[in-house]
Amino acid sequence: MKKVTLLIGLLITAVAQAHQPIMDMAPRWNGGYGVQTRVVNANDRTTTFVEGVYTFKPSVRMTLKVPFASGEVGDAIFAVPLKRYYNQGAFTSNFGFTPQVRMPTGGGNDWDLGASFSYSSESRRLYQLYDLYTLDDVVGFDANAGPVFADGNGSALFALWDVSAQKSDSGERILSGPVLMYYRKNVILRAEFKYPVHDKDSAWDGNYLSFGIGVVY
Amino acid sequence: MFSKLSRYLASALLLGAFLSTPAMAKNYVVEVHGIVCQFCSFGVAKKLKKLDFIDQAKYQDGVKVDIENQAVYFAVKEGAAVDQQALFDAIESGGYKPIKLHALADDGSREEVSP
Repeated sequence: MKKVTLLIGLLITAVAQAHQPIMDMAPRWNGGYGVQTRVVNANDRTTTFVEGVYTFKPSVRMTLKVPFASGEVGDAIFAVPLKRYYNQGAFTSNFGFTPQVRMPTGGGNDWDLGASFSYSSESRRLYQLYDLYTLDDVVGFDANAGPVFADGNGSALFALWDVSAQKSDSGERILSGPVLMYYRKNVILRAEFKYPVHDKDSAWDGNYLSFGIGVVY
Repeated sequence: MFSKLSRYLASALLLGAFLSTPAMAKNYVVEVHGIVCQFCSFGVAKKLKKLDFIDQAKYQDGVKVDIENQAVYFAVKEGAAVDQQALFDAIESGGYKPIKLHALADDGSREEVSP
């Protein structure tokens, strides 16, 4: 029954973003770049992520995500998101494949490899993102989806619901909760809260709270 | 006889050229598929602003993205001609798919510009 629950969660779930090096949406233009910082509180620990992205062309990006906690640098993740975009009328979508490597910048000697397969789409009124990923012993599936409220003058609010399921050597868990994103021109804000709806993970305790701000050029 | 015919022919050619060339227009709009988010389309405006013929005194630095109608408006400098190839290349490098270019008349009517 528990396995069925996890499987259902894996199939219907929404985002975690831990694996997403930086916002999925931008920059999607040649020579685009951006930075984002997120403060995450989880497991009674606060971690700040500093993330950078450079887009060679819409189909090829490189990203770097560096965590900081208690004044120390953690293991950074370097990734190369490869995307195939489809633009049709009032709809845009993309399939992504992202090979990534976690580097031992926080100490230790282990280099961990990972990859993710994603799909996202956006219309004037709806955004959705699904991502199946693996990194070292972790396998997860994330999804977030919800309505978009654009003012037609450079701003929009995304009111998404997020589910993230993850299985690793320490157990399995499913977190879920709301995500709010707001952008104004090239600046984006993100707030995220998730609670455990299924928690059999010995390395996890409590809720997940995150605030972020990013800018692209 | 030939002189008269030549004048008629020349007049007809000039008139035809005048009627078929919207190069005198100052404002244009491009239909762009997939452009539904202004945050994501920041790069389109960024690329277009760099084109020589864009009049940055109008719109927002010469460009306005309309995500409700998947359109990009832009203004052209006085006397400048639109380089459609450069225009479409800029939009594609901005991550989207340009479809058609229209010249905008003062009364708001549109006329498709042939490549």
